[in-house]
Amino acid sequence: MRRKTSLVLLALAVFFAALSPLLRWYAFPRLAKIPANQYQDMVLEAKDATLLDYGTMTAKKVSKVTIVQTLKGDVAASEKIEKTAGRDVVVWDGLSYVQGPDGKMVSEIPERYIFDAHSQAPVHAPGEMVDGDPVKRTGIEFKWPFLTEKRDYEYFDAQSRTTNPIHYEGTRTFRGVPVYYFEQTVPWIQVPFPKTMPVKGITPETVARTGTTRWYTTVRRFWVEPLTGAPVYGEEIHKEELRGGTLLGGREKVTAFAGHVKMREDYIEHTVDLVKANRLLVLLMTSYLPWGFATLGVLLLLLALWLEARSRRPHPAKVPEPEPVTA
Amino acid sequence: MRALIAATTGLVLAFALVLAITAMGQQTGRTSPKPLLTTVPAHP
Repeated sequence: MRRKTSLVLLALAVFFAALSPLLRWYAFPRLAKIPANQYQDMVLEAKDATLLDYGTMTAKKVSKVTIVQTLKGDVAASEKIEKTAGRDVVVWDGLSYVQGPDGKMVSEIPERYIFDAHSQAPVHAPGEMVDGDPVKRTGIEFKWPFLTEKRDYEYFDAQSRTTNPIHYEGTRTFRGVPVYYFEQTVPWIQVPFPKTMPVKGITPETVARTGTTRWYTTVRRFWVEPLTGAPVYGEEIHKEELRGGTLLGGREKVTAFAGHVKMREDYIEHTVDLVKANRLLVLLMTSYLPWGFATLGVLLLLLALWLEARSRRPHPAKVPEPEPVTA
Repeated sequence: MRALIAATTGLVLAFALVLAITAMGQQTGRTSPKPLLTTVPAHP
């Protein structure tokens, strides 16, 4: 009976010992993925911002500028690309919609971002674009990979359509969540006018004819939860200027937008709660379960060996009691 | 010999379980019918 039990324990020991690395290095990269049908929105605000009044072509102080950012996974497009890419792909259609204090549109920039569902590496396929312009991203955007490392990453800037390093600048705690802090500075650079302008009749082509150009700089900050790679908070110190041309009436430049853009409080709370829940799932797959299974495997093996040793121990032979000696 | 069979059984079961779980994978679902927003949502 003991031999049978020790054999079952041995099988279980090997089962759990094998499950530990398989879960961490085989199952985790295949299961931890961004769902192809993900839909999420985000609201950011810049309070006491500066905004261009297109009526007078002067910069004005406004109480608030709101940016609504939506990301929507296109399942059919991702399945089509997966056939040639040979890996799980996510296609995000995004829209950054900027609204002034009066509720009117300031700008709207659509984009399509295609990436590997696990590693977040950009995937190139027809349709990848920013505001209708074909682009070829060489860096990440919106999200970091699972198990983010303490290093600089290449981050794609949609305004300038360029990829620049975003620097790891230390580990911090954000509302109880351990995070990596990243910062990127995009120096002043000429950028295209949005295809959809806030004033009817004005198009990027008509502005281009005046000789006026659009320039932009930003300091981008992200607090990234490293297990999920999800930013729990983000900020931008964003400045835009129109420079030169007849549109400015002889002025050298005018501020089109300047503001410190921050996530709205209710969205911060929502994101932190979501990331905390997902963080636990990643921890289960990368740490809790692999270590738990490995420990269980060792304990079961020791138990099996102990039972086996006991079953092999020879039973002590019965020694007949000496008979009493009579004198 | 019986110990070897027991160990192999454990190993095969572990591989079978992990392969089955990963093969099932995630459900891709359908594209959300919700639009790309051009209004400010009141809450997340």
